[in-house]
Amino acid sequence: MQSTPRRAAVIGGNRIPFARANGRYARASNLDMLTTTLDGLVARFGLAGERLGEVVAGAVLKHSRDFNLTREAVLGSRLAPSTPAYDVQQACGTGLEAAILVANKIALGQIESGVAGGVDTASDAPIAVNEDLRKVLVAINGAKTVQQRLKLLAKLRPGQIVPDIPRNSEPRTGLSMGEHAAITAKEWGVSREAQDELAAASHRNLAAAYERGFLDDLVTPYLGLTRDDNLRPDSSVEKLAKLGPVFGKQLGDEATMTAGNSTPLTDGAALALLGSDEWAAEHKLPVLAHFVDAETAAVDYVHGRDGLLTAPVYAVPRLLERNGLTLQDFDFYEIHEAFASTVLATLKAWEDVEFAKDRLGLDAPLGPIDRSRLNVTGSSLAAGHPFAATGGRIVATLAKLVHEKGTGEGGRKARGLISICAAGGQGVVAILEAA
Amino acid sequence: MIGLYAKAAVGAVLPGRARSLPGTVLERSVTPEVGHLADYARVCGFPLGDRLPPTFPHVLAFPLQIELMAARSFPLPLPGLVHVANRITVHRAVALGEQLDLRVRAERFAAHPRGAQVDLVAEVSVGGDRVWDGRSTYLARGAQAPTGLAGELPDLPEVDGPAAAVWRVPADTGRRYAAVSGDVNPIHLNPVTAKAFGFPRAIAHGMWTAARALAALQGRIPDAATYEVGFRKPLLLPSTVELVTEQAKEGWDLAVRNRKGAVHLVGTVR
Repeated sequence: MQSTPRRAAVIGGNRIPFARANGRYARASNLDMLTTTLDGLVARFGLAGERLGEVVAGAVLKHSRDFNLTREAVLGSRLAPSTPAYDVQQACGTGLEAAILVANKIALGQIESGVAGGVDTASDAPIAVNEDLRKVLVAINGAKTVQQRLKLLAKLRPGQIVPDIPRNSEPRTGLSMGEHAAITAKEWGVSREAQDELAAASHRNLAAAYERGFLDDLVTPYLGLTRDDNLRPDSSVEKLAKLGPVFGKQLGDEATMTAGNSTPLTDGAALALLGSDEWAAEHKLPVLAHFVDAETAAVDYVHGRDGLLTAPVYAVPRLLERNGLTLQDFDFYEIHEAFASTVLATLKAWEDVEFAKDRLGLDAPLGPIDRSRLNVTGSSLAAGHPFAATGGRIVATLAKLVHEKGTGEGGRKARGLISICAAGGQGVVAILEAA
Repeated sequence: MIGLYAKAAVGAVLPGRARSLPGTVLERSVTPEVGHLADYARVCGFPLGDRLPPTFPHVLAFPLQIELMAARSFPLPLPGLVHVANRITVHRAVALGEQLDLRVRAERFAAHPRGAQVDLVAEVSVGGDRVWDGRSTYLARGAQAPTGLAGELPDLPEVDGPAAAVWRVPADTGRRYAAVSGDVNPIHLNPVTAKAFGFPRAIAHGMWTAARALAALQGRIPDAATYEVGFRKPLLLPSTVELVTEQAKEGWDLAVRNRKGAVHLVGTVR
C-alpha cells in the first residue's frame, strides 16, 4: 500500500441523455439505465472482461427490487463478474459522494480503478402499499393458522387500497424541496430576473456544448434519445418571464420560482471512470484531471436558521481553507442547479460580510466569482437532474473542461470546483485539477 | 393471430393439402417499438437496452412463420406442430430504431424418427446487409415427408453440472409470453386448452425458455454469436426449474431441467 496518498485520476465518463419523467424512458428501470450506462462506459474505454477495483453508484428513488442495484448492474454488464460493487445514497449528493469514495480508495492505494455515479427514475418510481395495508399484509405473512389469517383479512378496509406515492418532500418539515428553496430565495432577495437569466444561460451553454461536440464522448444515446430532452436551445429570458410561479406561491407577487428556473423531474444515469495514473497508463487511457479534495457539510434546516439546500455554503470555505485556496482560484465552477435560486443564494451567501462573520466564522466573505466561469456547459436546469446521476455527470464534465483548458492564471494547472446541494440539508463539494 | 389458428384448425381436417413445401417467401419491414421491446425484455428477463436481445427478432418474424404455415399451400397442419429446435445467428448487434427487413420461407421438409420435420427460415437485413438469421425446426408427429430424406437436428452437448440458477416459473408465463410474441397457441395459454391437445397443464413456449436462458448470460456473450437450442420435455406450468451453464471452449453450453433431472432445453452459444 502507498505510504503517502496519491491523487486519483479522472479518466472520463459516460451517461445516457437525461429524459423528462414519464417520457422516453418511462419503461426503463434503474437497473436498465445503470447497466446500459455502465456498458457504454466499458465500450468507450475498452474495459470488457476487466476486473475493476470497484463500481459505486446509487439511486435516490429505489424499489425494494433495487437491492444491491450496482452489483446487479455489474453482473449484467461486460465487466468481469469479479468486479465488486456497492450502493450509496446521499440524495442529490449520491454521485459525487460515490466519486469521493472511489477517489479516496485509489488515493490510499487500496484499489487501482473504479467507476462512480448513479441513476434515478422519476417515471418508474416505487409505489408502496398504504402503510395500514402493509402492516396487515406483514401480519398475515407471519400468521401461523388459517384462522389467524382470516381474522387479519377481516381488518382490511377499502381506504387501505390507496397507495403511497413517493413525494419530493422533506420528512421532517413536510415542505417540498421547491418550497424550501423559495424560503431561501426570499431570504437572500434573489430576483425573478436573475433566476431566469441563469436558467436561460444554462440552456444556451448546454446547447452550445452539444453543438461544438463537447458531449460526444460523454453521452451515449439511449432508446432513441440523443440529447437531453429538457434542453431548450431557444430558451430566453423573455420566454421564461412568461411562466407563472410554482413554488412559494403564498408570497403572491413576490413569488419567483417557476417551472423554467427549477429543475424538472427527469430519468437518467451517469458514471465517471477513475483510476491511478499508473492504471490509466497501463490501459493507454488519458488522464483528464486529478481529484484533489472533497468536503461534505450539513445544516440544521429543521430547527436552525439555515435553508435546506445551503450546506455547500459551509462546505466550500472548509475545503478552500484546507487546500490554501480562495474562491477566486478556479477556472470553472460547477454549481448544481437544483433551482436557479439555489445557485444565486449560494453565491450571495459567499459574498455577504455579515454571513461570513456570523455564520461561517470567517474574517471576510469568500467574495464574488467570475460568472463567465459558472456552469459553462450548462447544468441541471437545462440537462435535467435525475437525482443520483447528477454527480457523475458533473465529475466527467468538469474533468473534461479542466483538461481542455490545461493551464489557468500564472501557468498553474486549470482547476474546477464542484458544489452539490442535497436533501436532508447536506452539501457535497470537491476540487478537480487538470492532469 | 387466433384467427389464423382457427383457420389452420379447419384447414387441418379438410382434404386437399399440398404435398410439398410452397416456394412462398413472405416479407415484412418493421421498426421495433420501445414499448414492445420493453414488454418482451420484462417477460424474458433481458434488460431494456439499445441492442435488441438476440431472440427478439424471432417474435418479429413469427407472424410470417404462422402465415406461411397456416396457408393451404403448406403441407403440414399447423395445430400440433411441435417446435423441436431453433438456431439464431446474430451477425451484428441490431439497434433499436433500425428498420428491419424480414424474409421468411420454409425449407428442408424431411423425415424425422417420429414423423416429418420442416424448417422455417427467417432472415433479417438492415439496408441490404444481413444482420440476423433464424431457423426454427418443427415436427409434425406421424406425418410423412415426400422423400426419404432424413432431417438434421443439432447435435448439442448434454450439460449436467450444478444449477447456476433456480427459476420459479409462474402459471401465467405462457399468457405473458403470448402477449409479447403473438404466439397464442392454446397449449400455452391455460390448462383447459392445453388438455385439449393432450398436455396435463399449459406448457411454456420453447422460445420463452430459450430467451430466459440467454438473458441469464447477459454481459457474457459477444454481440455476434450463434445460439442453438434443442427443445426436449415440455415445461409444464407452473414449475420450478434449474438453469445449468457451463463455459465451453468458444462460448457457453447450457441446459434447463426440472428438479428431478428431466431436461427441457439444451443449448449452446458460440
